Amino acid sequence: MDALDTLISRVGYLPPFPRQVPLLLELLNKDEVNAEQVVALLEYDPSLTANVMRVCNSVMFGSSSPANDLQEAVLRLGFKEVCRLVLVISSSNALVPPQKAYGLETNELWKHSIATALATTAIAEDLGDDANLAFTAGLLHDIGKVVLARALDQSYADMFADLELSQTATTEAEKKLFGFQHAEVGGRMLARWRFSAPLVAAVWFHHDPMRARPHERLAACVFLGNMIAHFMGHGYGHLAFAFRGRTEALDILGLEPNSLPRYMIDTFEAMEELKELLHFDLATA
Amino acid sequence: MGTPEVIGIEQKLIVGVGDMAVSNNPNLVLTTYALGSCLGIGIYDPVMHIAGLLHVMLPDSRIDAGRATARPCMFVDSGVPLLIRSAHELGAARQRMQITVAGGAQIMDHTGVFNIGKRNLQALSELLAQNSLQIVASQVGGLVNRTMSMKIATGSVTLKVSGQPQEIPLWTP
Repeated sequence: MDALDTLISRVGYLPPFPRQVPLLLELLNKDEVNAEQVVALLEYDPSLTANVMRVCNSVMFGSSSPANDLQEAVLRLGFKEVCRLVLVISSSNALVPPQKAYGLETNELWKHSIATALATTAIAEDLGDDANLAFTAGLLHDIGKVVLARALDQSYADMFADLELSQTATTEAEKKLFGFQHAEVGGRMLARWRFSAPLVAAVWFHHDPMRARPHERLAACVFLGNMIAHFMGHGYGHLAFAFRGRTEALDILGLEPNSLPRYMIDTFEAMEELKELLHFDLATA
Repeated sequence: MGTPEVIGIEQKLIVGVGDMAVSNNPNLVLTTYALGSCLGIGIYDPVMHIAGLLHVMLPDSRIDAGRATARPCMFVDSGVPLLIRSAHELGAARQRMQITVAGGAQIMDHTGVFNIGKRNLQALSELLAQNSLQIVASQVGGLVNRTMSMKIATGSVTLKVSGQPQEIPLWTP
């Protein structure tokens, strides 16, 4: 066990995460998937299945034409949509509770994560990169905060007190205090949960994408997606903007700085779609 | 003219990203959530008690002509003139217009490549100067996310900074 594992173990808390999710993501990568395979995987988790059905029937299909079972839901909605729904629902247990150490209220880390997933996906889709990986990496990029927040409590108040004055990034202050920062903790959590190498690397290095090689494109998408989520008002808590600009993220992806406003508009549109599809408004949730 | 009386229940009207509200209904409180690098721009005529609140995201509408037409309030250069015009049409006098501003947060970026918040502010300053309007109060830049509210009855503007418990006053006419 190395020092990072020791830190995670010392906290004694890993948020619950369904074991099926990494397997589901593997299925997403296959060319041909049938509904039975998806159903077979999710059936092992009755509460997750029940939640997926509840969301499908209450907001997507409406009470007039509910789906009878998961298989019907997958056939009607499509595999990709159900997968994203499963991801968003299963991450909610970990991401919805408040994280006082970071100044995050109930729902705020979850809203930030969804906004980041949408922005990261917008960039990946435009560049022809894997949109499913982008969505997952964006959604889970800050999961390490859930564990670090428990290690920190009181020390965090002191830490945030002088960040702005000393122009120190949150990750640098975390590292000084604990030897690790939230991105590293999150990357290790994903590795423990057996997520794929690109997802582990992209989360681990989302504040320093160059170091994610050979997965630096995905990490760069998450870096920019995270920044866009902040720009668009979905970065919450104490000094949420205390992170460094990484122009290499643009270089890795071959982007010009003036592409950012366009991606912000794409993200805005994705949020509007979410509002229509799920009746879920990030601004007021 | 005194402060109009609030009759009945005070109602909150939420102004979304790329949207605007202008009104003289004294029961309303205009609120816009989650200003990151975006700007919340308030306008108020303290005599007529006409208020407006705009939430812009980007400085320059020329990057997307279609969007600029469909959603002019997304951009500083198309949204601010619309805000001024709408308040004026409702009866606000230009010489009495008080402008308040919040948002424009910035990440730590010495290269300036990612300074959309700063560019939003520059675009706003230029436009206000052209229209001979002045900002009476602002809290902009920095590392925080803000929510901005404006009471139409009094024109008072408050801010809620994410991570801090209390609302803070920005401006009282």
